[in-house]
Amino acid sequence: MTVIFVLVLFSYSQIAFCAALIFQSVSKATCWHGDLCPLPAHHTQLISPYVPYMQAEKVLLEMQDPKKGVKSQPQRLVITTIPHAITVCALYSNSFFPMLSLARQLLNSCSGFLSSEARSFGSMLVALGYIYPLQDHKRLVIKPDASLYRFQTPYFWPTQQWPVEDTDYAIYLAKRNIRKKGILELHEQEQYNRLHKWMNHKWDFIVMQAKEQYRAAKERKKPDRVVFDCQERAYWVVHRPPVRTHTHTHTHTHTHTDSYQTCTTYTGCRLLPRVKSSVSIGALVKYCATYNSHDPFLSKCLPSNPWLTDDVTYWTLNMPNVEIPTKMRVERWTFSFGELLSDPRGRDDFRLFLKKEFSGENLAFWEGCEDLKWGTAVTMREKAEQIYKTFLARGAPRWINIDGKTMEITVSGLRHPHRYVLDAAQTHIYMLMKKVSKHTRSDAQLEQNARNRRPSLSPIILRQQELEQRAKMAASAPVDITQLCRFTTPVSHLAVYSGFTDSPSANASPSLPFVAPTPVCPSPISVALDSNSASERRAEAGEGEAERNPEARAPAGGNVLKSRMALSLRRLLKRGCSPSTMFASLSPKGQAAAGTSRIQPLCPDQPSQAPPRRTGNFFQIKVDIPPECRIYPIESEDEEEENRASSRGGVGAKEIICPWESLTPQNGTG
Amino acid sequence: MPLVNNKVGDDCTLSTDKTLADGKTLVDSLIKVVACYRNLASCVGGCTDSLQLRDDLRQTREKAQKLAVSTCQHLTSHLRDKSLPQEQRRELELLWVAFSSSLELLHVDMCKVFSMGDIFCLANTTALVQTGLQGGGSEVAARALSLPDLNQAQTPADGLENQERSAMEKEISQIDHMIDDMEMKVNVLRWMVEPHGPQYAEPLSSTDSASLALLTVDEEQPGHQPLCQRSRIFVFLLLFAVVLVAATLSVCVVFFS
Repeated sequence: MTVIFVLVLFSYSQIAFCAALIFQSVSKATCWHGDLCPLPAHHTQLISPYVPYMQAEKVLLEMQDPKKGVKSQPQRLVITTIPHAITVCALYSNSFFPMLSLARQLLNSCSGFLSSEARSFGSMLVALGYIYPLQDHKRLVIKPDASLYRFQTPYFWPTQQWPVEDTDYAIYLAKRNIRKKGILELHEQEQYNRLHKWMNHKWDFIVMQAKEQYRAAKERKKPDRVVFDCQERAYWVVHRPPVRTHTHTHTHTHTHTDSYQTCTTYTGCRLLPRVKSSVSIGALVKYCATYNSHDPFLSKCLPSNPWLTDDVTYWTLNMPNVEIPTKMRVERWTFSFGELLSDPRGRDDFRLFLKKEFSGENLAFWEGCEDLKWGTAVTMREKAEQIYKTFLARGAPRWINIDGKTMEITVSGLRHPHRYVLDAAQTHIYMLMKKVSKHTRSDAQLEQNARNRRPSLSPIILRQQELEQRAKMAASAPVDITQLCRFTTPVSHLAVYSGFTDSPSANASPSLPFVAPTPVCPSPISVALDSNSASERRAEAGEGEAERNPEARAPAGGNVLKSRMALSLRRLLKRGCSPSTMFASLSPKGQAAAGTSRIQPLCPDQPSQAPPRRTGNFFQIKVDIPPECRIYPIESEDEEEENRASSRGGVGAKEIICPWESLTPQNGTG
Repeated sequence: MPLVNNKVGDDCTLSTDKTLADGKTLVDSLIKVVACYRNLASCVGGCTDSLQLRDDLRQTREKAQKLAVSTCQHLTSHLRDKSLPQEQRRELELLWVAFSSSLELLHVDMCKVFSMGDIFCLANTTALVQTGLQGGGSEVAARALSLPDLNQAQTPADGLENQERSAMEKEISQIDHMIDDMEMKVNVLRWMVEPHGPQYAEPLSSTDSASLALLTVDEEQPGHQPLCQRSRIFVFLLLFAVVLVAATLSVCVVFFS
C-alpha cells in the first residue's frame, strides 16, 4: 500500500513537472507574438527626414541620468563583463514614458502589452541606431524579453545626417576581413569586391588605414575593444543593411530617408490604378507590334532614313500640310482616333469629311477646347466666351449636340471659366467623332492606300475601277439612291474621301427592290449627334441590327422633296441617329452584310423620318461653294426645329443661364 | 617599403628615391595619426569623455596638422616638378591620393568632434552616454604622438573651452583650404592611379584575432539562450523540489513500513 502511495505521489510530481514545462513554453510562445516583426507600416510615419533628431537626443541624454534614467546592468561574456547593457523593461520603465503610467504596473513582469507609442518610439531608436542590440545584431528590433541593448556612442549617431561614406565602409570591411581572417559574409564579400572595383585608386590607402585603425584599437583593453567592435558593427548594420533573401517581413534596417521614401512610395502606389501585369504587358506588346513597322529605326523606311543617308525626301514627303499623305501615314491613322487627330493632315481630312457630313462644328468645338486648355491664362476667359457663343448657347451658329447633363455641367462651370471647364463636353464630342471615324476610316485608308500604291494610274482608270466595283455591289446589295447620287459628281479636290464616298454601296439602278416600312432607320449621313445618352444606348443596342437593315434607308427615298430633305437632314443630324447604321451602309462590309439578309427588322425607336441622304448628296453636288455658306441657310430654316429639339432634348425645361449677356438668336449669316 | 631603384650611381634617381621614401613615411605617419584620432573621436560624448580625452584629441589633431602641412608641401613641390620621371610620378600620385583621402577623413572627424563638443559639455557629466567603455584613450593618444610613455605628454592645458573651440575652427578651415589648394595646384587623375597593394589586408597576428573571436560570442547565432533563463531556473527548481518530495516520501515509507 505504501508502494502504491509512493507511486501515486511520484506520478503527481511528474504531472506537475510536465505542467510546468508546458506552461513555460506556452508563455514563451505568447510572449508579445507578432511584435517581433519590426514597425508596422503606420509607425514609419514617425520616421521622416523632418523628425527632429534633437528631441530624440534630448530624451536619450535624459535617459543617461544615473538616478532618473534607465537602469543598466552588466553584460556577461565569456571572459569579461561589460557594463551599461539595458533591457527593454529597463528602457520602458522610466519616467520618460508617462503614457505608460498604467501600463508600467503590467510591465514589471515584462509581459502584457505596451502602449503603441512606447513600442514605436523604442523601435525607432533601434532602427535609427541610437540603441543597438547586443544579441541578434542583424535585426534591429526591440524585443520585450531579456535581450540586451546598449547605447550607441554619439560619434555614430545619425544626427546632422553626416554622410555615410563608402570609403568608411570599405575600411570597416577591410578591418573585419583582418579580424575574421578572410571569412566575410556573403553580402560583405560582394560589397567588398564592388568597392574594390569602384575605389580602386585609393585601395592602398584603405588597406593601410584599416591596418592602422586595427592597431590603434588594439591599444585598448579587451572589453573596450569588444564594445568598439559592437558599436561599429551596429552602425554599419543600420547604414548598410545586409541583403535579406529569406525574410518575409520588411526589415526595418533602412535609414530614415529610406523609410520615409518607402512609406510615401507605398502610399502613392496604393492610390494608383492597378493593372495585372499580363494585361499591361499585352498592351505593350501590341503597341510595339503595331508601331514597329512605322519606326524608321526599327524597320526600314522609304525612301531612305534621313538620319542615316542625309536624304530628306522622307521628311518632305511627311510634311504636315503635304497634299498626298503617304501610305504609312494613312495606315497610322487607322491605329486610333487620337492618331488621326494628332496628325495635322489627318485632321484636315477628317475636318473635310465632317464638313461634308455637316458636323464640322464638332471638330471645330473640339479644337476650340484644345485651344482653351493649352492656351495662355490671359485669353482663357475670352476664349471660353467665344466658344460658348459659337457652340453651346441656344441658337448658336454652330450648335453642337451634347446631352443635357453635360450641357448643364458645362454651362454652370462657365460661370467661372477655367482651363478644363469644357472637358466634359469635349470628351463627349470626342467620343462621338471617334465612333464616326471608326466606321469610315478603314475605307478612307484603303482607298488612300490604293491611291498611294498606284499613283501612276490615271483618274479615268480609277473611275472605271470604281464603276466596276459599284456594279459588283449593286449586284449583291439593294440600291442606295443617295449613294448613287454622290457618284454622279465626283469631287476631285476632296481627294481623300471621294474614294470613300464613291466606293461603297454602289448600285447602278435607282430602283428599289422593296418598300421599306414606315419606321425607317435614320439617316446614315448623320454623324452620331445623339441628343441624349438614351439614344446613344439605343445606338449601341441597335448596332447589331444596323448591319441588317441598311436597306431600310434605301426605300422611301424617292418621294421626298428636296427642301424637306434639307430640313430633315438637319433634324436627323440633331436627333440621335445611329452612326453605325449610317456607316454600315456606306462601307462595303456593311453592304455585304446587308446584302445577305433581306429582312429588315423594325427599329421602333427610330424617329420616322425620311432618309435625308439625298440631301447630303444634294449638297455634295455643289462642292465649290464653301461649306460654311451652305450650312447657314439650313440653320435659319431649322432654327425652330433646333430650338424645339434642344428644348425637347436633353436640356429639358431648364433655363440655361447665360453667364454673359443674353444671346439673340443668330441669323443665318453667323 | 620604399621602392628600390636599381640604377646605381645616379644622383638624380637617388634623390627621387629619397623623395619617394620621405613621402611614403610622411603619408604613413599621417594615416596612423588619423586612425588614432578616429579612435579617440568615437569616445567623445561617451562615459569616458573627460578633459583628458579632449586634450588627447587636441594634441593628436595638432600633430596631424603638422604632418599634413609638411606632406602637402613635399608632395606638391615634387609633383609640380615637370622633370620627374614617369614611374616616380606614378608613385607620387599614389601617395597623393592616399594623402588627400586621409585629409578628408581627418576633416570629417574634426567636424564631428567640433559639433559633438557643442552637445556634450563636460560640465554636465550625467548627460554623457553610457556606451560601455571603461578605459580612457591615453594609449591610443600615445601611439598617435609616438611617445613611449604617457607621462611625457604635455600637461593638459587649462585653457578655456572657448579658446579650444576657436582653435579647432581655425584648424578645420585650414584643412579645408589645404584640400582646395591641393586640387588647384596639382592635377592628379584619379582614374589613372593604380594601387600596388593586395585587395585583402592580411591578418596581422593569429593569436590576437583568435582571442577577439572568443570575446564576440554570439556573432552569428541569434541570441535565444538568455531568452528564458528565469523560467528555466524556475523549472529546474520545481523539478528539484518534486524530486526532493518524492525522495522524502519514499524514505518515510521505507522508514515506517
